[in-house]
Amino acid sequence: MEQLLFSLMNGVIYGLLLFMVSAGLTLIFGMMGVLNFAHASFYMLGAYFAYTLQGVAGFWPAVIAAPLLVGLIGVAVERCFLRRVHRHGHAHELLLTFGLSFIIAESIKLFYGNYPVDYRVPAPLDFSAFSIGSTQYPFYRLLMGGIAIAMFIAIYLMLTRTRVGIVVRSAIHRPSMAEALGHNVPLVFMGVFGVGAALAGLAGAVAGAFYTTNPNMALELGVMVFVVVVVGGLGSLAGAMLASLLIGIITSLAVTVDASLADLFALFGAGEWARGIGGLMTLNLSSLAATLPFALMLLVLLVRPGGLLGENG
Amino acid sequence: MNKLNLSAITVASALGAFCAMPASAAPVKIGLVETLSGPQASSGQAYRTAVRYVVDQINAAGGWNGEPVELLEYDNQGGPAGAADKLKAAAADGVQIVVQGASSAIGGQITEDIRKHNLRNPGKEMVYINMGAEALELTGEKCNFYHFRFAGNAQVRTKALVEGMKKAGALGGKVYSINQNYSWGQDMQQAIIDNQKAGGYTVVEKTLHDVNKIQDFSPYVAKIAASGADTVITGNWSNDLLLLMKASKAAGLKARYGTVYLDQPGNLANAGDLAEGNFVVHTFNAEAGGPDAEQFVQDYQAKTGHMPVFIEPQTVYGMKMVADALKRTQPANGALSVNALAQALETARIQTPMGEMSMRAADHQAQLPMVVSAVSHDARHKVDGTGMGFKPVLLLTAQQASTPAQASCKMKRPG
Repeated sequence: MEQLLFSLMNGVIYGLLLFMVSAGLTLIFGMMGVLNFAHASFYMLGAYFAYTLQGVAGFWPAVIAAPLLVGLIGVAVERCFLRRVHRHGHAHELLLTFGLSFIIAESIKLFYGNYPVDYRVPAPLDFSAFSIGSTQYPFYRLLMGGIAIAMFIAIYLMLTRTRVGIVVRSAIHRPSMAEALGHNVPLVFMGVFGVGAALAGLAGAVAGAFYTTNPNMALELGVMVFVVVVVGGLGSLAGAMLASLLIGIITSLAVTVDASLADLFALFGAGEWARGIGGLMTLNLSSLAATLPFALMLLVLLVRPGGLLGENG
Repeated sequence: MNKLNLSAITVASALGAFCAMPASAAPVKIGLVETLSGPQASSGQAYRTAVRYVVDQINAAGGWNGEPVELLEYDNQGGPAGAADKLKAAAADGVQIVVQGASSAIGGQITEDIRKHNLRNPGKEMVYINMGAEALELTGEKCNFYHFRFAGNAQVRTKALVEGMKKAGALGGKVYSINQNYSWGQDMQQAIIDNQKAGGYTVVEKTLHDVNKIQDFSPYVAKIAASGADTVITGNWSNDLLLLMKASKAAGLKARYGTVYLDQPGNLANAGDLAEGNFVVHTFNAEAGGPDAEQFVQDYQAKTGHMPVFIEPQTVYGMKMVADALKRTQPANGALSVNALAQALETARIQTPMGEMSMRAADHQAQLPMVVSAVSHDARHKVDGTGMGFKPVLLLTAQQASTPAQASCKMKRPG
């Protein structure tokens, strides 16, 4: 029971982290139709910037400044690169961001080396919030979760309750009409891209200290973020939230299940037969934990191609 | 015009390769088929540094047959497919000695490809010098005459680790086995189970998980905590090790870690104080080796800019055994006969600061000394710019560390 509670909480927090990164991706896609391959690279940049700045300015200023820097880079990428290839269609934009992700990863290796850097949770934040049974729950995880929830509420309110939100949403749905009504749609695009990048940067700055900050972190998270966005529905913020939590909880709970398909068959008296077949039948669910999200994505694509909360679902 | 020239050269060289007699006094070519780009590039580059260090020494001592030995680099891009491609390129370039270490999956591909290549091209054999692919099958079912392993394997490592931790009184009665779900991790899990009796522990639970895909290890840590284990033994490397240990620390887990790859650069810096008191089994620790070891460390640092860590020492000594075998191989028609070299490798024997190291002919598994060390502030050599280093706990000679050759190895020798 304790372990279940613990796993559930771990899953929720990990899901919230996934949301922090995928929020920007889904916003950018929903608005501009750009599937930004470099998005997870912004996450990595956030972590490295925060690592560099914390040596000079301390942890909190670094966590605030790093996303701003990443946001500026995002703005520059949109203004100087994406806008130029926009008229050539989505394939070019995709290739551009794909190339960009390589350039960012290699530049990081150039400046910081191949190995993980020494970016850690600062000592004042490194304590346990409470214990369940014999296991302690780190405060920093709660902090990460809190930041993600605050972020979700802030974006949600901004999109639904403010004038900026109205313009942004109209630019998403009918860009040419919004432009005809006198709104500067390219500016809105640039802003959204910058904000999306900054959100990923914030996630990196916060999570880089808890996990590791290394040149592969974009690769490790990048794929999962795409899964989240596809499962949730491209362009849907609430969908991204739902999918992140779902994936976080599924992977976390799957680890604790030491059962295989053969055990399922055993319920119907065919356990021996299934064990005899071996292979997939005897594979423990726990060893597949990290693969389950992909199975979920497959299922969603088959049943609801638009994603859980996607518009065309 | 340029294109024409190029294709003309290609055709000419292809023709040349086709009907080439063993060229007179051809320099020996060593091909490093390693992961030099992509996510795991750091390991591949460490192998490269160490191999280059020894090749430079071979050449400083006059090379082979009066010619310097050539070192060619091939980037296998981190996967067996890339390795298979580059191996063909290496064969076309006339490489006779193939060196690789990072990843057992790639090692498995190379050893199979070389076996087939040698069957199809008698007289143009290649030999595979394995510096770090530690999966047991390479010296078991897949063992072949042209494969030599100069690293440990799961059985050797675990046996030494268990002995060292037991001696330090840090093993406890309950052990949790967590490993990566591929050949190496599965071997480790088996070895941890096999050593229960010798170590006087029981394996309370065992887990295999996806390789380098997991960001959040806290669910696994919850499982370890629930099992009540005193010690966690893991063959995890890179991020899988670091993230696992960080998650343990965050959850306040009291269990001690017995690891194989804690000495990978960056690990101690990143883990911080939580690394202290955990164990690693490796092939070299300067503090356990006296003045010779110190001299090697200094020379290596002078040549490469950093201390030999992680897989570098074992690669250096492996290459020194290759150098030893090369020295004893006489040129045939002015060229290197790989069969003769392989026979010389079977009897290679060198002195290292850790003790004597030799090759076992039965399965081509190097017999090498093992050191078990604990992370401590008292260590002589600090690493990663932290105040900590690896303090040796137990040094096993090659004989003590050795585990028997696998029965599944049926070595077929040429001729």
